Amino acid sequence: MMLDEQQLQKLLQLKRFEQPPPGYFDRALNEFHRRQREELLRRSAFQIWFERFASGVWSFRVPTYAYGAAFAAFVAAATIIGSGAWAPFTQTVETASDLPGVASTPGVREVAGNKLALSGNLDWSKFYHSPASPRVVPTLRPSQTALPRYVLDGRPVSYEASFSF
Amino acid sequence: MDDQNLPDDETLVRQTQDGDTRAFDLLWQKYSPRIYALIYNMTANHDDANDLLLEIFAKAYRSINGFRGKSSFYTWIHAIAVNMTINFVKKRGRRFQMSLDDLDANVQNDKEFIDLTAPNTPIREVDLAELQQRLNEAMMKLSVEHRAVVTMFDIQGMPHAEIAKILGIPEATVRSRLFYAHRQLQNYLEEFRKK
Repeated sequence: MMLDEQQLQKLLQLKRFEQPPPGYFDRALNEFHRRQREELLRRSAFQIWFERFASGVWSFRVPTYAYGAAFAAFVAAATIIGSGAWAPFTQTVETASDLPGVASTPGVREVAGNKLALSGNLDWSKFYHSPASPRVVPTLRPSQTALPRYVLDGRPVSYEASFSF
Repeated sequence: MDDQNLPDDETLVRQTQDGDTRAFDLLWQKYSPRIYALIYNMTANHDDANDLLLEIFAKAYRSINGFRGKSSFYTWIHAIAVNMTINFVKKRGRRFQMSLDDLDANVQNDKEFIDLTAPNTPIREVDLAELQQRLNEAMMKLSVEHRAVVTMFDIQGMPHAEIAKILGIPEATVRSRLFYAHRQLQNYLEEFRKK
């Protein structure tokens, strides 16, 4: 006859009586203290601090409202930039148009109007030799197609790609 | 201090987090016997159970600052114990040895023990020590996950819901593991009874 469920459970309950010798847990606690002291002596203060810090970081939970706040901040930033209320490029173009010999050039006026537009009518020799502001000059060459890869002191020196596939 | 007179877990955990090592000693006093029994019944080896018990409490002590009280300390430390023991048993493989087969000497007078081994139970039919050894062997034939569930439910008397929380699995999985493990144990012990 096979052991039924109840008999099996009674048999398993017998294992509750398998106990370590009396006084075992007190001795084990002393051993635990000894190991803790040993570990403290072995490890540097930085290691201990780092372990506790890492333990705190892993258990850190981002509050749910933080996701909402981050999204709201993103939407606000996107709205401000998208509406044109804040245009970071305006200052640069205006500065370029103030350069001697540049303001009168039709290409620059066009640039000033369109912010990021390019023109092939610029007299680039004036840009290169202008000692006034070597860093403000646009670093695009008149071909309007290739971006300079290497620029030294405001002057494009190479249009080659830095690497190729 | 008697377990009933100990402060509640929440207080002890907070005091430990504030650097009071005596509070952690009280948590040790409260939970080490249960954790030891859990490990022992999963490893069937006193030396391994001893080493693991110390490692588990050391890990709990190191991580206690990260304990936020989303579960009870009881569930938290049992989860650490079960996970570390499962990892240990998987690394160790099937090698094991019995080292704690002897029942406590005083157990023969224990009322619960007398009830369990009453003449009308099948336990009386065979030599108790031999049956116990056979039961340990049968337990070790179970996978470590099934052994964990049997230990917590049948030996330690935990409810299904608590086991599910500790293992991080659905309650239905706990029930199905128990069902499967019981069937396996019944088969192993039946073979023994036929010999």
